[in-house]
Amino acid sequence: MIDTLIHILALTAPVAMIFASLFAFTTWLERKILARIQNRIGPNYINIPFTKFRKTFGLLQPAADGFKMLVKEDIVPHGADRFLHLLAPILALVPAMMVLCLLPFDLPFANESMKRIHAAALDNAVLLFFGITSINTLAVFMAGWASRNKYSLLGGMRAVAQMVSYEIPLVLSAAVVIMAVGSLSAQKIVAAQSTHWFIFTPWGLAAFFIFFIASLAETNRSPFDLPEAESEIIAGYFTEYSGFKFALFFLGEYLSIFAINGLAVTLFFGGGNGPWVQAHPWLSCVWFLAKIFGLIFIIIWLRGTVPRLRVDQLMAFAWKFLMPLSILNLFVAAVALKVQQPWLTWPLCALVLYAAAHGLSRLQQKNVGPRTYQYAE
Amino acid sequence: MIEQVAFYILSAVAVLGALLAVSRRNLVHGVFALLLFFAALSGLFVMLLADYVAAVQVLVYIGAVGILLLFTIMLTEHVTGDDLRRLGVRGWFWGLLLAVAVPAVLILPAVLNEKSAKAAPIVVAQGNPALANNATQANTVKALGKVLMEKYVVPLEVLALLLTAALIGAVAVAHAPEKDASGKDTPA
Repeated sequence: MIDTLIHILALTAPVAMIFASLFAFTTWLERKILARIQNRIGPNYINIPFTKFRKTFGLLQPAADGFKMLVKEDIVPHGADRFLHLLAPILALVPAMMVLCLLPFDLPFANESMKRIHAAALDNAVLLFFGITSINTLAVFMAGWASRNKYSLLGGMRAVAQMVSYEIPLVLSAAVVIMAVGSLSAQKIVAAQSTHWFIFTPWGLAAFFIFFIASLAETNRSPFDLPEAESEIIAGYFTEYSGFKFALFFLGEYLSIFAINGLAVTLFFGGGNGPWVQAHPWLSCVWFLAKIFGLIFIIIWLRGTVPRLRVDQLMAFAWKFLMPLSILNLFVAAVALKVQQPWLTWPLCALVLYAAAHGLSRLQQKNVGPRTYQYAE
Repeated sequence: MIEQVAFYILSAVAVLGALLAVSRRNLVHGVFALLLFFAALSGLFVMLLADYVAAVQVLVYIGAVGILLLFTIMLTEHVTGDDLRRLGVRGWFWGLLLAVAVPAVLILPAVLNEKSAKAAPIVVAQGNPALANNATQANTVKALGKVLMEKYVVPLEVLALLLTAALIGAVAVAHAPEKDASGKDTPA
């Protein structure tokens, strides 16, 4: 029993630590890339304490930020619900950390008995992943409600509406892969892609695009960052958070980004599969992280280029565009899996999906006009 | 040993959550307590090696039902969650009767079929749950899917139809704005 507990710890603790340290690196990366896009330099001269060494390219910026967060005063508003105000950042972080352990992340030092525990716990990893990430919504709402602040509550409500809506296309697009593999286990999904990644199938490509867009909304990333829209509702649900609680929200948000992109890599990019993995098994972990960072680069790029959506646009996009398309994609995938002829399925699937997307966007555009206000006139 | 400790902790949390859910005056606190109960319940499902049901419990009850409850409260006037009205004690007898009757109806078949209940394997694993899972190779997802698609396909379809009807009905009720005499929308 003790042996099992040690093995479980040895499998989970490194995952939590690796991603928590990658979080620091990602904040630096994001600031640097955004700076490059906006023609700035970004953080570049944090020196190593007590030395004159300054050429760190700003890599120590996250450490400085973390220290600042730790020593800042923790302010709880007078009318706030103290207990839930404290609980919300914790609840935002814990599910994000839990789902990281569900990813098929092959640690180089894991031996056979440890792998068996890993596999046993992961019989329906994908379903559990969606279940646990949905707790995140609750944390956001809790933060917004417990702060007793109008803007916080507005941000919380926006987050709830958005996350509940985008969860449907997210799950439906993942269901395509589950249908193709016939298993909910992350390991089996990766194993099924050892020769041919699902991104290189017509339905996989469509599903990945839907999944990626929905995952942006699910993690409150630009252009779907309405719950924390600075120009509209101050900082949304974490308006009343300062100090380390704010840092916890920040960490939780980035960990969810790692997790959901890890799932995208698992479902569509073959997990840790890649060149030379057969010869050097330790490379699988490197490939996995490299693929995640490839996706994160695209996310940062999008943040630097795309403006924020309006609330009604956001909802219409989820319900009237992404959802019908992802349902159609399920049928398309079913047909394509039966036919199994690449020369036939590619043009056929592309045609059907393109026609559907075009028709749906035309349908939407018919209703676009000047916005009508119900109560604000 | 570790299973028993986990069982008692989870049960205690479940009872505590359920008690808090009915006793808290603050509606939002009540919902969060209810969600605590759901979480503990999903833990109990894991103890029974029904990991698929546990995952669905988290996904549906915590992720969807809880959010819907909160959303509903936010649409009423009790946005702050404080409800200072005292509940009436009239009708306590019928309430108590119902509270006893529902579990009784649920448990009674199991008590009557004591024989079959004894024959059913007690799946709470002795020793290591992970190893027990390996030993039985109970792929609960596959088994559940088979049962749902073969034996219980008609109830499943009826249920799906019912839910679809409820969905369409809800949209129909919510969609049509009430018109007054001047033809303008009246604020709800």
